[in-house]
Amino acid sequence: MLTKSGWKRAAVAALMAGVLGLSACSGSDSPAGGGSSAGTEVKTEGPVLAVFAGSQTPIVANFNPYSPTLLPGTLGSIYEPLFFYNKADVGDPIPLLGTEYEWSEDGTSLKIGIREGAKWNDGTDLTVDDVIYSFTNEAVSMDYLAEAVKADDTTVELKFKEPSYTNEYAILGSTYIVPKHVFEKEADLVTFTNAEAPVGTGPFKLSTVTDASYNVVKNDSYWDAERPTINEVQYLGIDGNSSAESLFKAGQLDYSTMFVPDPTTLTADGHLGYLRLSSPNPLTILTCSNAELGCEGAQTDKAVRQAFSKVLNRDEINEKAYYGHASLAAPTFTLPERDEQWIKDGLPQLVDGGADVEEAKKILEDAGYTLGGDGIYAKDGQRASFTVNSVEGWSDANAAAELMVSQAKAAGIEVKSETVTLDQYTEDRQVGDYEMIISALFGTPISDPYTIYRNSFTTDYTTPVGTPLDARQTNFARYSNPVVDEAVHTAAQTNDEAVKKEAYGKIQEAIVEDVPYIPLFHGGSQTFYNQDDFDGWPTEDNKYAFPASWDALQAAYVMSQLTYK
Amino acid sequence: MKYYLRRIVFYLITLWAAISLNFMLPRLMPGDARAIFIDKLMRRGGEITPAMENSIDLVFGTADSSLWEQYLRYWGNLLRGDLGISITKFPAPVTELIAAALPWTLILVGTATVISFILGVALGALAGWKRGTAADAIIPGMTLLQSVPYFWLALIFVAYFAVQFRLFPIIGGYSLRDFPAGPEWSWAFAQSALYHAVLPAITIIIASVGGWVLGMRNMMVSTLSEDYVVTAEAKGLTRGRIFTWYAARNAALPSMAAFGITLGFVVAGSIVMEQVFTYPGIGKLMINAVQDKDYALMQGVFLVITVTVLAANFVMDLIYGLIDPRARNNV
Repeated sequence: MLTKSGWKRAAVAALMAGVLGLSACSGSDSPAGGGSSAGTEVKTEGPVLAVFAGSQTPIVANFNPYSPTLLPGTLGSIYEPLFFYNKADVGDPIPLLGTEYEWSEDGTSLKIGIREGAKWNDGTDLTVDDVIYSFTNEAVSMDYLAEAVKADDTTVELKFKEPSYTNEYAILGSTYIVPKHVFEKEADLVTFTNAEAPVGTGPFKLSTVTDASYNVVKNDSYWDAERPTINEVQYLGIDGNSSAESLFKAGQLDYSTMFVPDPTTLTADGHLGYLRLSSPNPLTILTCSNAELGCEGAQTDKAVRQAFSKVLNRDEINEKAYYGHASLAAPTFTLPERDEQWIKDGLPQLVDGGADVEEAKKILEDAGYTLGGDGIYAKDGQRASFTVNSVEGWSDANAAAELMVSQAKAAGIEVKSETVTLDQYTEDRQVGDYEMIISALFGTPISDPYTIYRNSFTTDYTTPVGTPLDARQTNFARYSNPVVDEAVHTAAQTNDEAVKKEAYGKIQEAIVEDVPYIPLFHGGSQTFYNQDDFDGWPTEDNKYAFPASWDALQAAYVMSQLTYK
Repeated sequence: MKYYLRRIVFYLITLWAAISLNFMLPRLMPGDARAIFIDKLMRRGGEITPAMENSIDLVFGTADSSLWEQYLRYWGNLLRGDLGISITKFPAPVTELIAAALPWTLILVGTATVISFILGVALGALAGWKRGTAADAIIPGMTLLQSVPYFWLALIFVAYFAVQFRLFPIIGGYSLRDFPAGPEWSWAFAQSALYHAVLPAITIIIASVGGWVLGMRNMMVSTLSEDYVVTAEAKGLTRGRIFTWYAARNAALPSMAAFGITLGFVVAGSIVMEQVFTYPGIGKLMINAVQDKDYALMQGVFLVITVTVLAANFVMDLIYGLIDPRARNNV
C-alpha cells in the first residue's frame, strides 16, 4: 500500500503532537479490560474484536470477491484460496481448501488435491466443480490457463499454455474459491454486490451490515475444527487515523495497522501490543534511465545514477523524513531478511546507510566528469544535474527530496527538487516524461523476487518514452538489458531452485551495476493489537502471517488464530 | 404579492442556472469517470475482460452522444430522481448515499446552527443593551472563540472530553457496539444518537456563537441611538417593550439575512466536523468524492448544497418580507 495521503498523516501527526503535549501533564488512567484467568481449556466467550482495516464511512455492502470495491473481510474471512502463503516469512504454503499440489515435469500442468468435507456456509458441500468454476469464470479469466479439468472427485488438474511455475502464487494463493451454485446465477460478476448472506467456506460469515460498520461471526461449520475460536469481529468505518488513535486510547479498538509517528503514545500502558514489519514494496527513486528508449537528462548516464546513490545519506533521510520508521532496502530489490537466500554471494545485502562522498566523486571522475566552476561535475557540456519530483502533499517524500538536494551537492551533483500533483505523477510515470521521481515498486508477496524482476526490469514490461505503459507494466525506468531478459526467461521455465538462483544472480549483478532505480527503504507497517483480551497475535519471533489489518487474507488468517485470554 | 412573485421567478432562474452549471463543471474537468474507474480497477491488480467492459459500459453509459443529448438526459434523470452511480462506493446509487447521509447532517448541524444563532443574538442583544457594563466583558471571550480554528477546537474536545475523561463517544452517529445492525426505531437508539450528537454540536455552537454575538451587539448599539428609540423612551414605554420591539427587532434584521445564508451552508459547512467525529453526514461524502474524482457523487452533493442554499435563502426572503415591510414595498 503506497502512501495514499501523506498530507493527511502529516497534518494528523502535527495535530496529535500538539494535543498530546497538552494532555501530557495529566496522568495515565488505568486501561480497560480484565485480568487473564489462567487455564488450559480454550475460553469460548469474550469481547467482539473491533478492527479498523481502512474502511471509510459510509460503508456500502459489497462482498463480491471480484468487485473492485469489495470490503475488507471478504477475502480470507468469507472466501478462501487453496493455500495460505505467508507474506512475512519464508516457508511452505499452508493448505486451506487445497491439500496438496504437484507440478508436471514441464510445468504445463498442475494437479491440486481438494479438501474433503469442506462445506459452504449454506450447508452444501465444496466440490471440484466449484474449484473449476473459480478458475474459469469470466471474472477470473486467466489468459495462461488452457483448461481446468476434474481428475477425480478430489483432484483438479489445471493445464497451461506454457510452463507456469511463476504463476504458482496467483493460482494457489490468490485465486479465491467461490460457490458455483450461487455465482453462476449472476448475470454480471462485477456489479453483483453479494451483500446478503454471502456464501463462502471461510472461518467467518457475515452477520450484520450498516453504513458505519459490519460484523462477521464464527463459521461453526468451518472445515478446521480448531479455528476460529473468537466468536465475532466488527469492522469499523473510521475517517482518518486520528480517530482510530483515539479509539485505541479509549480501549474501543482492538486491531489496526496504521501510521503513528510515535507508537509509544499508544503502547505505553501495556494494553496494546505493537509489531512493526517491513512492507515488501521498496521505496525507490524511479529514474528515466534509458536514452535509447527516449529518456533525456544527466541521469541517463549510469555513472551519475551510481554516484547519486552513493552520496545519499539514507540514515539521515530516514530519521528526518520518515520518522525513523523505514528500514534500508536491498540493492538487489529483494526484501531484506525474508529473501536473503536469493541474493547472489558477494553482492551487498543492504544499501549503505551513510553517504560516501569520496566514492561518489571518484565514480564521476572515472567516468570522465570534471568539476566545473559552479561546483557541479560536467562531461561534454552535460552537467550532472537533474530534477527529483515528489508528489505534492506526500510530506515524507517531499522532505526526503529536500534532503537529497543538499546531500548531492556535497559530491558535485545538482539536484532540483520539485513537487507534482498526483495526477501529473501518475501520468509522468506511465509515459516516462520525468528525470527522477520518488515512488515505490511493487515487491513480491512471497519470497521469490521473480515478479518484481519481470515487471520492473525486463524489456517486455516497458515502452518507449511517450507511449504509456499498460496497467501490468511497471518498468518505469525504461530499463532494457538482454542479460536480464534472458535470465528472467530462464527462471520462468524452471522449478529448480539452483537454476533459478543462478538466473537471479545474473539479474542482480546487472541491476546493482546499472541502478535503473535507486533503492532507498522499505516502509514499516505498524500494527497495534489488544493483548489484554486476545492471545495468539504474530510476534517478532513468530511471524506466521503479515499482520496488516488491511491485508485481506493475512489479516483473516491472524483473526482465525486468535483466542480469548 | 408582486414581491413574492418576483422572488419566486428569480429563484427558479437561479436554480436552473445552478443545475446547468452543475452539469457542465465535471465535463469541463479533465478525465472521464469511465477511464478513472477502469484505471482504479487495474491498479488493484484486476484485469479488464471483454465481459467486464460490457458491464462497465452498462454502468457508465457510452459517452459518445452529443452534449445537448447528454444535457437533456441529465434533466430527465434528475426529474426521475436518478443522480447516477457512485464510483468510490460502487455500486451504490448517489441518491441512496445522500439520502442516508442528509438527515444526520441536517438534524445535527441544522439544530446546532439554530441554537448558536438564537443564543448569539440573545447574548448580543443583551450585551448591546447593557453596553459599557460588566456584560461587555463577554466580547473579548467571544472574539477569542471566534478566532480558534474549528478543526483544532474539535480535536482538543475529542482528546479531552472523549478520550481522556471518557465523557463522550469518539466516533459515529450512534454506538456501533450496541447497534451493530444499524439505526432502529427505539428509545435506546434515540438516546445513543443524541449522546453521540452532543459533543459535535457543542463544538459547532462554541465555534460559531461568537460571530452572532459580535454582530448583534454592534447593531444593537447603533440601533439604540436611533431617533425612534429615543422617542419610545420619551413616550415612557416600558424598558422591556423598548428592548424587544423597538431595539432588538430592528437590530436583528442584518443577522436574519446572514442567518439565511448560514442555514444554506449547513450541508457544506459540516465537512470538518464530520471528518473529526466520523459522523455519518454529507460533508464526508463530498470529501471522498472530490479526493477520488467521483463525479457522479460530487454532482449529487453539489446539487443538494445548491438546492439547500437557495431554499434557505428563499425562506429567509419570505420571512424578511414579513418582518421588514420596507422589503415588500421597495420592489
